[in-house]
Amino acid sequence: MKVQEVELPEEITPDWVSREHARLMADAKGGEIKLDCHRLRKLDALSLAWLAHLQDTLEKSGRRLILSRLSPELKKDLAKVTLPEPVAPAPKDEPALSLRLGEGAAKFLVEIRDTLVLLSESLYWSTAALFRPKTMLREDVIIQMVRLGSNALPIVLLLSTLIGFTLALQSGIQLQKFGATVFLASGMGISMVTEIGPLMTAVILAGRSGSSITAEISTMVVQEEVGALHAMAINPVHFLVLPRFWAMSLTMPLLTICSAVSGILAGLMVGLMFFRLSPVSYLHELRDAVTINYLIQALIKSLTFAWIIALVAINKGMNVRGGADAVGKATTSCVVTCIFTIIMADAVFSFIFYY
Amino acid sequence: MSTALKLTVDGLKAGYDGKVVLEDVSMRVAAGEIRIILGASGCGKSTLLKNIIGLERPLAGTIEILGSKVDWSQGRPSNDLMRRIGVLFQAGALLSSLTVGENVALPLRIHNPGLPMAVVDQLVRLKLEQVKMGHAYDKLPSELSGGMRKRAGLARSLVTDPELLFCDEPSAGLDPVTSRGLDDLLLELRESLGITMVVVTHELDSIRTLCDRMTFLSQGKVVFDGGLDQAEANGPQEVKDFLARKPEESKHTGRTVAFNLEDG
Repeated sequence: MKVQEVELPEEITPDWVSREHARLMADAKGGEIKLDCHRLRKLDALSLAWLAHLQDTLEKSGRRLILSRLSPELKKDLAKVTLPEPVAPAPKDEPALSLRLGEGAAKFLVEIRDTLVLLSESLYWSTAALFRPKTMLREDVIIQMVRLGSNALPIVLLLSTLIGFTLALQSGIQLQKFGATVFLASGMGISMVTEIGPLMTAVILAGRSGSSITAEISTMVVQEEVGALHAMAINPVHFLVLPRFWAMSLTMPLLTICSAVSGILAGLMVGLMFFRLSPVSYLHELRDAVTINYLIQALIKSLTFAWIIALVAINKGMNVRGGADAVGKATTSCVVTCIFTIIMADAVFSFIFYY
Repeated sequence: MSTALKLTVDGLKAGYDGKVVLEDVSMRVAAGEIRIILGASGCGKSTLLKNIIGLERPLAGTIEILGSKVDWSQGRPSNDLMRRIGVLFQAGALLSSLTVGENVALPLRIHNPGLPMAVVDQLVRLKLEQVKMGHAYDKLPSELSGGMRKRAGLARSLVTDPELLFCDEPSAGLDPVTSRGLDDLLLELRESLGITMVVVTHELDSIRTLCDRMTFLSQGKVVFDGGLDQAEANGPQEVKDFLARKPEESKHTGRTVAFNLEDG
């Protein structure tokens, strides 16, 4: 049988193994391997693991690993060495597709149930607070209103203005073909008030405030802060959920109004600059088109979206298990679930309002 | 139940995710006693504590705290019962967004919204002084060391004047001096306030300082219940080895690798 001879260096380093192992195995081509160890000065954990691996690999194919000219000290060290028994990897028990689908559906239903329970508890405690005003954590509500709502105002205004600008420009060009640019105001008014305003604000707040709520509450769970609240007989729904629930419920409609107004003003700017509309005709047309019904629709939508964001974010945060990676996963999952649910709810509202 | 007993656990079975961690655990804690729950890592000490203080629902068995049964039939155990106990969590579990003073005031602020703020403030400062943390009233938890956080957590758990105090690994992660200081503080509190304490720990120095009686857990079962002297003299070998810091014998089975050696 062919014997591949290799001289080992003074020290077997990770770099040396990474470089030489594959080359050694390739050069051996089914033959035996003889390692000349006369320069080798020490046998550390890496050397032993590598030599044992080489020995096991060759033995399995009926070949031999020969260590030649090993110093007497290293021979003694080698004789003392015991290596852990090789452990066969546990067979992966992959559940069937139907089982995984079932589990996924069950988890989804549990999540819906938990969110509805949270909603009922929030409404219960909110009502209770109306009758016992001292139990209402007013300061906490104000702090959360600033953090979750007011601080989001600049980004809501900026994005709504840009979207309003784009929407007005694109629809204006189409309307111009039919000489109907005067209807730009009504189109902008209705779409910004009933659709773009609530939806845009909700998506921004889902990404900004929803993720912040989940990250904060899940970190509190991981650091046993929520456990401490239970141990102090403090209901986390009362202490953590209510201020955020109220803050979102109060600030979301206000932000939606700001979003719609900024989009409409962007439309006015486009009308003045590109389609020679007068401010008076734009505002006159707008007043006629945007009726109180549309404003009520916008209010209902924004309040529903606020509840979706608050409850989904809190639920994701409260149910986190594990460490830092679980916090990250819960935050991502919160944003995805919020946006998905908001768009679903928006579709349902469109059906209810227009048919 | 006798009024002299502050805590009774009978036939407790506990676990999570379908895995049983504790099986048939029973113990009785008398008034004024410091009971140590100890055992090697992973033996179920923290699970036992979480079940007793109502953070997890037992699979079977009964728990009575201060003469009242911990009842899960209507959801979480009653708030009135939980208000009569204090819990010191391993890392203090202070709310990071609140100052130390606000953290300590929290149970009072929530449970007694009508209490004048000046009274709450006075009480909070008193409790902080008791744990030698008066200087940290306005500090945030992130500005405190591990030992200081635990002291602040202790002040919060004492603010409602509990009859029974649970401590989860109070000296874990602390240097020996700080750890001894915290143990001495617990002893002082027992002397001055007469609080019954249940302390989960595996720190031998703390056990020697604090222990009146101990419950030794091994693989989810109670293997010894009694005093420290009794454990060292007549306890099971496992308990004696633990107290003598004798490591468990390795179950590792190695293999020798027969290399082919050549001299030439």
